[in-house]
Amino acid sequence: MSENIERRRFLKSAGMCSLMLTPLAGCSVKEESDGAHKPHYVMVFDQNKCVGCGDCKTACNQANHLPEGKSRVLLEQQSGRVEGQPCPHCGKMSCDCERKFVRVSCQQCKNAPCVTVCPTGAAHRDAKTGIVTMDASKCAGCKYCIGACPYNARYINSDTDVADNCDFCLNSKLAKGELPACVQSCKYDALIFGDANDPQSYVSKLLAVKDSVRIKPQFGTEPSLRYIPIVKLGV
Amino acid sequence: MDTSMEFTLGLSQGVAWPWPIAVYLFFAGISGGALTIALALRFYLGQVENTAFLKAATLLSFVTISLGMLCLVLDLTNPLFFWRILVFYNLNSVMSIGVIALSVYIPLVAVVALLALEKELMAIPQLQFLGPIITKLKGFRRPMEALVLLLALSVCAYTGFLISALIRFPLINTSVLPALFIASGLSAGGASAKMLAVWLFKEPLHSGEMKILHGAEWPIMFAEALFIFMIATALLTGNAGGQFAFAAFQEGIWASVFWIGVVGIGFGAPLLLNFATGKHFSHSAKAFYMSGMCAVVGMMCLRLFILLAGQNYAI
Repeated sequence: MSENIERRRFLKSAGMCSLMLTPLAGCSVKEESDGAHKPHYVMVFDQNKCVGCGDCKTACNQANHLPEGKSRVLLEQQSGRVEGQPCPHCGKMSCDCERKFVRVSCQQCKNAPCVTVCPTGAAHRDAKTGIVTMDASKCAGCKYCIGACPYNARYINSDTDVADNCDFCLNSKLAKGELPACVQSCKYDALIFGDANDPQSYVSKLLAVKDSVRIKPQFGTEPSLRYIPIVKLGV
Repeated sequence: MDTSMEFTLGLSQGVAWPWPIAVYLFFAGISGGALTIALALRFYLGQVENTAFLKAATLLSFVTISLGMLCLVLDLTNPLFFWRILVFYNLNSVMSIGVIALSVYIPLVAVVALLALEKELMAIPQLQFLGPIITKLKGFRRPMEALVLLLALSVCAYTGFLISALIRFPLINTSVLPALFIASGLSAGGASAKMLAVWLFKEPLHSGEMKILHGAEWPIMFAEALFIFMIATALLTGNAGGQFAFAAFQEGIWASVFWIGVVGIGFGAPLLLNFATGKHFSHSAKAFYMSGMCAVVGMMCLRLFILLAGQNYAI
């Protein structure tokens, strides 16, 4: 359904754009070369590949100089088992054998409640990359953003006393032209990062062929994290 | 909710806004409610003198909003950061708009209180320097009172809008909340200002003004109960998230706070004290103070219930 809506929206806006641009046809085209491309950075988490090793968490902690044991990303282990029935994998009544994980981190919403509610503009969207990030020097520590986030993906950094979120390592890695620390550290290629607005990027091509889902889309937050779910056993 | 992928872990543990925020909502509601009632009555009756009720309401309003601000600042992760909220603004943020309203409201409440308490303040020798200031301010009294009346109502509503922006919690994320907080602010603010007027400023228990206030109390209380009922039915008959959050009324410590504190003490007790007792008792000072205290306790329990039970049921 969302694909249909997106296609319709795309056609609509394409039509609007051409209408608006027609009168400008005679104008100078010099501006078009600079700053015309607006990136949309997305991250894809492939559940089929994640083994739950936790290297992403360690890399996050080190790259962003976070307090000991803290990271901006968590992994939730999930099980497809039904309570009171034997495990479909090992047959035992209680086990920990299913290695099915979900990445828990800031969903980088295009319509981000944290940015809307922040009274000081500390939680903001980076102008150049469009990534939701923090200006620690403006945060008053009111925790409005933490309550407003539908994903409970924000927290107070105990070193700085201000709110914090995963911003794809905007300042620690992207600024140096590197990939986010978790993506670099993943040995199993479970994390893919790139610009979805660039049709030539690997992530665009991947999303074009793989079915992916977003978490809690009903909130209308338009998250930029995409998940490729494990297909159920027996299908 | 059977979406194809979901997670339940979170980066933050516990509630984002603990009980001091409920106390802040309580104080802001009392402040706005008391002042709204007092000024509405003043305009309605065309009073020009400083009545005991106006004195009590303005004093109470200033003290409670100051205490509320203290709760707010102490709940910041680092209270020394509070200046950042006053320096940086984001007009998309309900909180930021509230800060603007409060930074006009609080000084105006102080001025209105100063003018209402002129006689009392001038009786203190150390405060003589205030005399010329009061005289200067008197010329703007009417427009300032009109503006502060509007702001007092806005502050009551603001506390509702502030938390109803938290979309994760069905009990909190409802459009009825600002109206509920106005109604409960009016009833508890009015009750506490009445008690202060009788106790500190020696207003007779059965004066004409008090009679009007007693009469206004029941319709406001009815509106408050109606708004709570609207929230509960909307959850019960709503989608999966709403039905899940309806459990807040049924189980856990906050359900007890709701049924005992809000319904029992807040609504039941004043009704019983006034209508189930003999005329002799229900018109006594004892019944007056008891039902007033019940209204205040009920309001505090309502704020605690909405904020804390609300945050416990996230979708």
